[in-house]
Amino acid sequence: MPGLRASPPAFLLLLVLVFPRGSPAAPGAGQELEPGSRSAVAAARVALHYGNFQARSLGGLRALGQVRKATLKNIPESGHKYYLQFSTEDYRTGEDAGNCLATVLYPKKKSPPVVSIKCSHTKDKKEIQEEDNRFYQRIRHQSKPITGNNIPDSYGNIEPALEPVWALAVAGSSSIMWEKSTETLGYFLAQVKSVRQWVRKDDFTEFDYTVLLHEIPTQEIISCHMRLTWLPGHPLKVKHFCASNADEGSGAESGSAAGPSAEKGAKF
Amino acid sequence: MRDRLSLLTMRLPVLLAALVAVAACTETFVGHQVLRVVPQSDEELQKVQELQDLEHLQLDFWLAPRRLGLPVDIRVPFPSLQAVKAHLEAGGVSYSIMIEDVQALLDEEQTEMLRSSRQLPLSTETFNYEAYHTIDEIYNFMDMLVAENPNLVSKLEIGRSTENRPLYVLKFSTGGTNRPAVWIDTGIHSREWVTQASGVWFAKKIVQDHANNEGVASILETMDIFLEIVTNPDGFAFTHTKNRLWRKTRSKHSGSICVGVDPNRNWDAGFGEAGASGNPCTETYHGPYPNSEPEVKSIVDFVKSHGNIKAFVSIHSYSQLLLYPYGYTSAPAPDQQELHEVSAKAVAALSSLYGTKYKYGSIITTIYRASGGTIDWTYNQGIKYSFTFELRDTGRYGFLLPAKQIVPTAQETWLGLKVIMEHARDNLY
Repeated sequence: MPGLRASPPAFLLLLVLVFPRGSPAAPGAGQELEPGSRSAVAAARVALHYGNFQARSLGGLRALGQVRKATLKNIPESGHKYYLQFSTEDYRTGEDAGNCLATVLYPKKKSPPVVSIKCSHTKDKKEIQEEDNRFYQRIRHQSKPITGNNIPDSYGNIEPALEPVWALAVAGSSSIMWEKSTETLGYFLAQVKSVRQWVRKDDFTEFDYTVLLHEIPTQEIISCHMRLTWLPGHPLKVKHFCASNADEGSGAESGSAAGPSAEKGAKF
Repeated sequence: MRDRLSLLTMRLPVLLAALVAVAACTETFVGHQVLRVVPQSDEELQKVQELQDLEHLQLDFWLAPRRLGLPVDIRVPFPSLQAVKAHLEAGGVSYSIMIEDVQALLDEEQTEMLRSSRQLPLSTETFNYEAYHTIDEIYNFMDMLVAENPNLVSKLEIGRSTENRPLYVLKFSTGGTNRPAVWIDTGIHSREWVTQASGVWFAKKIVQDHANNEGVASILETMDIFLEIVTNPDGFAFTHTKNRLWRKTRSKHSGSICVGVDPNRNWDAGFGEAGASGNPCTETYHGPYPNSEPEVKSIVDFVKSHGNIKAFVSIHSYSQLLLYPYGYTSAPAPDQQELHEVSAKAVAALSSLYGTKYKYGSIITTIYRASGGTIDWTYNQGIKYSFTFELRDTGRYGFLLPAKQIVPTAQETWLGLKVIMEHARDNLY
């Protein structure tokens, strides 16, 4: 069973704040989870979706490494709250990108998870900014508006020219995946089906995307349309609409784009 | 485009040099253009000839200036484009752009070459294990493998798919009669392409180990190995032609316009219970009844009639997990402890190669509740060593795993598989 890694001193203070000791009067003492357990991993993923979206940067995009510590608390009237510590990797290179502390509250009523997340960096802010600027320049200095299909393609290839556009899709679809996540439904970005750039007179870049999300545990592929605007250093603006089912002859579900339909043999 | 390609082949020596340079990564031709000038006057001819003297422009004359009326073709490196065009325009010399981007054309040519060479791999030695292949290419590979190793490998047809494609299983055997056996299947979910690709690699690896008397050669002394590489051929064909992310079979059952049944929910173990869907339009639809899918029924029939399978491994992607029964119930499998220990060893062996991290445990605790699953059925049939792998990665590329990860994935997975096979051999029941 994986033990706790020694945390850098800066974290000790945060640890005390993020992992409160249950006092006798507390509504429900925290239940420690196996760091590898699927609910802990799923919650960490939700926290990262939120973090990637909020970070407003492409150079700082992270993928989940390993969950080191996880605690679950039931907050009456509110929902289930996860307290997490996990390592991350740079989304593009896979290199260690530092650790994060996060809380994820899945509300009882239907609304996006409430996330707080704080991460350490292995890349300094300047490096990330420069990477963002490089991405930005690559997008701006095309002679024609960028268009693309199937990123990655069937063989897992991403054309180097389309890498910035893919990174932007990861950042933008993170907001969709965070919003849609529940304690029982998780998401991955399966593919960018299409992308088209809108040319703007100002400095912002703007894109129309169709992204395909892989939903767990239903295994469904959800098609979402995403309109995204970005300028380095500014918040990512994302508008989205997801179809209820991507494939032929489907759509037997009630037209909700949100949760799973209640049916016999439902997934959980 | 065809004309320009034939033009390119006319310049074969140049093309070869370019390709060699490209292959050696010493030079690229990104942004280079090929301009054509047809000088109509002495002044125009002179303007073009002047360009030849400007060495710093690094121009490459595919057709040198000779006489009036004859075309002059010039490959112009990207940094010199502006200067050359300005020079020509200043002299009133008209030109046309024959090739807008030389590198793009070279890349296309290379893809064409690879594609045409892929149509005729002459043996399993020249087969490209680092690429994804079509059904025909894989079926052709299987025939070549059998032809090259007739004393070890045979091909069995265990049934036909909904769309009447043959369901082929490779049998690896050094003799005996109905020896205890290991079963491995890949590609039951068609979009999980790294699994079929790994299956092809496994097949070749078994043959190589046997030839070199190492690895699984010792297992083959007392056991047979059955390998079904394209377990869902209809789905697989569909992922190549229509929808890369198709998962299910391609069956049509009356009462619905939707197509396909999840072949990993169609087995007779907790069939139809929580962990599968009764809606034909969903990805985990269990089908109208157990074994409704010929892809599933053919394996069920095979396993029952063989009667001596001791280990059964069904391979999926993605998530990096090694799983054992059950998925349809939270009741622990009677052999849970042993299966857990074997899993720990298998995962350690897998990770030893590239450090790839796997988790392991029962299906229901590790991934999610799933009913009607393959290894729940095989386990309940008495095949104690029933496992499911979920291969690379953990979501970054998901189903669209880059081809360069095929071989590393197959290599590391093989180490895990060997642990399971060796344990079965050493603990026959």
